[in-house]
This record gives sequence, structure tokens and C-alpha cells, in this order.
Amino acid sequence: MLRFYFTILCITFSTHLLSASNGIRNTIVFPKAEVINEYTTRIPFKLVDHLIVIEAEISNKKGNFIIDTGSETLILNKVHFPEFYEHQRKQSNASGVLQSVENSYEKYIKEFALENFKIYNKVSDVIDLSHIEIAKKIQLLGVIGYNILKDYEIFIDLYLHQITLTKVDTFGEKLDKNVYLEKIVDSLDFKLKNHTIVINGTVNDQNITFSLDTAAEFNQINKSINKKVLQQFKPMKRLLLSGVASDRKIEVLAGKLYRVKLSETVYFGPMYTVLTNLSKMNDAFGTDLDGILGYEFFIQKRTIINYQKKKLYFINYPYNQQ
Amino acid sequence: MKYLKLHTFLFVFISIFSYAQNERFKGYKIEGDTVVFSFDVRDYSKFTKEYTGQILDFNDFDIKNVVVSGEFNNWSRDNWKMKKINDYKYELRKNISDFNDEFSWEFKYIINNTYWAEPSRKDLNIVNATKNGYGLGVYNLKMYTAYPSENGNASFKLQGFTNAKKVIVAGSFNKWNEDLFTMKKNEDGWELTLQIKPGTYEYRFIVDGRWMEDSNNSHKKRNEFNQYNSVLDIQEYTAFKLRGYTNAKKVILAGSFNNWNESDFVMQKTDYGWKYVVALSGGKHHYKFIVDGEWITDPNNSVKEYDGNGHINSVRMIK
Repeated sequence: MLRFYFTILCITFSTHLLSASNGIRNTIVFPKAEVINEYTTRIPFKLVDHLIVIEAEISNKKGNFIIDTGSETLILNKVHFPEFYEHQRKQSNASGVLQSVENSYEKYIKEFALENFKIYNKVSDVIDLSHIEIAKKIQLLGVIGYNILKDYEIFIDLYLHQITLTKVDTFGEKLDKNVYLEKIVDSLDFKLKNHTIVINGTVNDQNITFSLDTAAEFNQINKSINKKVLQQFKPMKRLLLSGVASDRKIEVLAGKLYRVKLSETVYFGPMYTVLTNLSKMNDAFGTDLDGILGYEFFIQKRTIINYQKKKLYFINYPYNQQ
Repeated sequence: MKYLKLHTFLFVFISIFSYAQNERFKGYKIEGDTVVFSFDVRDYSKFTKEYTGQILDFNDFDIKNVVVSGEFNNWSRDNWKMKKINDYKYELRKNISDFNDEFSWEFKYIINNTYWAEPSRKDLNIVNATKNGYGLGVYNLKMYTAYPSENGNASFKLQGFTNAKKVIVAGSFNKWNEDLFTMKKNEDGWELTLQIKPGTYEYRFIVDGRWMEDSNNSHKKRNEFNQYNSVLDIQEYTAFKLRGYTNAKKVILAGSFNNWNESDFVMQKTDYGWKYVVALSGGKHHYKFIVDGEWITDPNNSVKEYDGNGHINSVRMIK
């Protein structure tokens, strides 16, 4: 299950370091979306290794987007949108150029508005993601992050391989009352630190602060963590990792983390986890994280995220399929 | 949309062609949702002892047990013990859900918890074994969820190009690996049959290094190089069962897979209720039963969703 070469996405501080300035408006169309009503849409995803990837169309280009709660904004891949990058660079001294871009996109919106679920008027960053394309052998148009996801309650379902987005009001109440038919069996409070979902839990009865990141292919825990926690980490092998920011690789120790508990009723079986240094990320975000929970979390829990209520809800995997 | 439907039964005739040696992947096969690890000591000529690296011959020891050790079980030397079939053969059957993603896994067989059976360079599915980043000078076996099989469910054919030296089929089912699936030459072209999990995949042929689409497959998709990838839909036979309702006269299965047709799929009566088997593509399917004209959701399936009109449907996921 662990491969020699691994890519982990920890988009995190990279967007801060590398992104050009903001300001482009654009429309993303999801051709495979099931529009249930004006508030609720389901979009099927595929797993590329451990990444949650949805098909989308933007600026007449078809390709994939990664769903990433660890990213603050929508990110567009500079490889496919060099023109956006140019405009962004000119933005500070030539605002007229930006205006013309907006105009051309308004046309695009009208063309697709009735047929498909769409997202527009969102700020995006443009960075080079070509090393992920190479590692994952997919055409990657970008990354969908917090500034898009936050307007919805999001059900990330690794059983039905789909995300359900349903509009919420400022209090987090769903505008569509009939969204889920399966029973919500549990819930968990989280804190929002800027865009990061922060969860308090324990490992071996030691208090731990985790973030929840849909694009973390592997869970991560900080090297400098309490020894009692490390007792529950059983190393297996060394891996090479690379992040979104660059193709620089680091070697990390990978293994299984046992006894992760987030509340009296929310706990986990052994999870694949790598031991990394999270201090840079903590500095960049002003967080104080001991670990990151990613794919392994979602494969064990079908999870609904409500940013306004700062709550996670869980739906069980079905027991009996015929 | 016109899908290319490929089913197992359509391709059994393939087996009449002779195959070159070593065309099978060594050490495992996948039967439906079961991964069958099979070890035959006669397939191995070299064994190395754990820690010392001492090289041994098959006659140097008696076999007490054989264990499958790999990335999927943390290279455990004793957990996945195999069942003895005869003096040479051992077997272990595991559900495919024990391998919960689409990665490939490295593994090996270990005898008496001590001696590693070394794959040879001639085996098709080998990779260099490494530990802590250093090569060990031996090979591991590699397991893929897509693999060549005479009775596989996807048959690839390329007509012509008989002068080509090497033809590969590469696709999203093996992460576009450019070496793994070598096609075999026949009288009028090239062919290869693979066993692939249900789902929709894109693929292309590589003829002596030149990439091309499958011109006999009309289902295709434009790719980023402004050329076309061919598209393949692998289906799985899926049984729908309705328990009870034995007094009903007629039960129909209707769903997104047959455009909610109200008469097509007439279910068969069984001793427990009603049954219908249909080939489904990978992905999510909505369905309902029509019992003597009355639409009901599947009482034994907790997974349900609203459709765009506020109706409730049962949901079946094919992976």
C-alpha cells in the first residue's frame, strides 16, 4: 500500500509563498454534477492514489481539480492558465487589462448558467502544479480550497465516491432541508483557525491538535511530539514526499498510528501516518498543530463538514449491500 | 452515449491462441472480488536466508510453512499463512477489500518464516527490492489490480502493424505505465486480454514508441495533446435481490442503468423473494423495485438518495 515514491499534498503555506496576487474571476463548470435542486449538487469524484479529484471545465479547458480543505483559496495551475498569470502580474499597474478579462468571462457564465452547477466570482491563485501532474499522470487544472467550499455544507463520501455541496445561510443552516437520507450517527466540534479545520483529540491519552485536510494523502504527525504519543506510532518504512509548492523531495518515516481518539465516541483504527516536521507550516499559518488527518480519516468516516457551525457530522458505512 | 461493453464471456475464445512463456503475472491472480495468492516452490530456483543473505537451493530445507509477506501486511513474516494444497503448492485467498485503494503492492513469499523465495529476472511483475532507499540486489513481486489474464474481462486488439517490434497498451488502469502490458502478436495484429476492476478507463496503444488511439473503438475522448484517448467501460454483473413479497405477481427492477424502464427487467421469483442480475458500469446507480405496480425502495439497503425531483431512490455503488 505504501509505495517507494509518494507525493503528499500539503498545500498549506506554499500558496502564501508562491502565489501571485489575487484578482481573477472565472467560472468552473462541473459537467458530471447531479443538480438536485437550486441549493444542492452532488459531484462524483475519482481517487487518484489518495487524492480526491473531480472533473471540471474552466475557460474551455477540461481537466481535474483536487478538493483540498488545506488550501486557503482556489488555485489554478499556471501550466494551463499562463494568461491569468500574466494578467495577475500586470494587475498593480494596469487595471484595465483585468477589466477585459472579466468581461470575457461574463459571457462564459451566461452560456453555462442553466445547464450546469457552477461557481464563479471567486478569487484564485495561480501557481505551477506541473510536478503533481507528472507524479499522478493526470491533467490538473487546479485545486478547490476553502474560499469556495466555505459557502456550502460539504459531504465527503468515500463510499459513494462523491461530494455533496449544499448551500447554507450565515448560521450554517442548510437552505435545502432534504439533503441526506442516511442517518447522521455522530458529530464533532472543530475550531477554524483562518481556513484550517482544527480538531482536538488524544493519542494514548495525550492531548493532540490535528488539522483536517482532504488533500493529505497520508496523515502526518510532528516529529517533536510527546514521547507517549510516539509510542503509538509503529514505523514501517521510509518514503520520499513532495508537496505542492515544489518538486523538492524529503525523506520521511512512514508507519501506523494507533489509538487516535477525537471524542468519547469518535475514534479510529490504525491509520497510515508519516512523521514530518510541521514547524514551518505552523509558523506560516499561526497554528500549533501536532498532526494532519487526511485520506485515512475519510476512508474510515463518511464526513460532513459545516464551516459555519464548526461541526463535523458522520454517516456510517453501510453494513449490508446485497 | 455508446459504450463499449466488454464482458468476460465474450472473450473466452482468446485462450485458443498460444502464449509466450511468462505471460502471466507471478504469484497471484484475482477472481472476482478475491485475491488468490498462489505459491509453487517449483517456480523458484533461488532462496535467500533472512539477515545472512545466504543463498539456498530448494533441496536444502523442508517446507514447514509458507507465508505471504508484503506492503499490505507490513512485511509480516508470520501473519498471512498459506494453506497447503500439495507438497509444492500453497494458496491464500483474501478479499479484495483488504486492499483498499488502487495502488500496486510489492510482496514476496517466505518459507519457514526464514527463507525468501526469490523471483527471477524473467518474471513479468518484478521490481527491484529496496530497503531504506538502498537496493537489495533481489526482486520483489508486484501485484496490480489490472493484470493480463486469458479469461480477463477486457480484450485489446490492434490490427496491422505486423512489422512493429513492440506494442504496449497503457491506460488509466495502470497509471499510463509505458512498459507493463506488452501486447502479443498474432496473424493480423496485436492483442492482449486484461482483468480490470469495474470502471471507466482511458487507454492508448504505443507502437514502437509511437502513441495512438484504438481506431476500432468509436468511444473516445480528446486529450491534452489534442489527440484522442480511447475509452473503455468495464462492467460487473450485479445481483439485485428483494427479500419477501412472495405473494406478489410481478416485480420489476428499474433504475438509472436502464433509464427507469418500467417493463424491461422482470425479476425472477426465488425461494426468498425476487432476483435480477444486470451488468453495471463502475460508479453510482439509483434503483427501485416495482411490486405489482407499486414503486418501493430496497428495504435491505440503507443507502438512499433524493433525485432531482424530490423522489427517494435506493443507491448501489459498483467499485
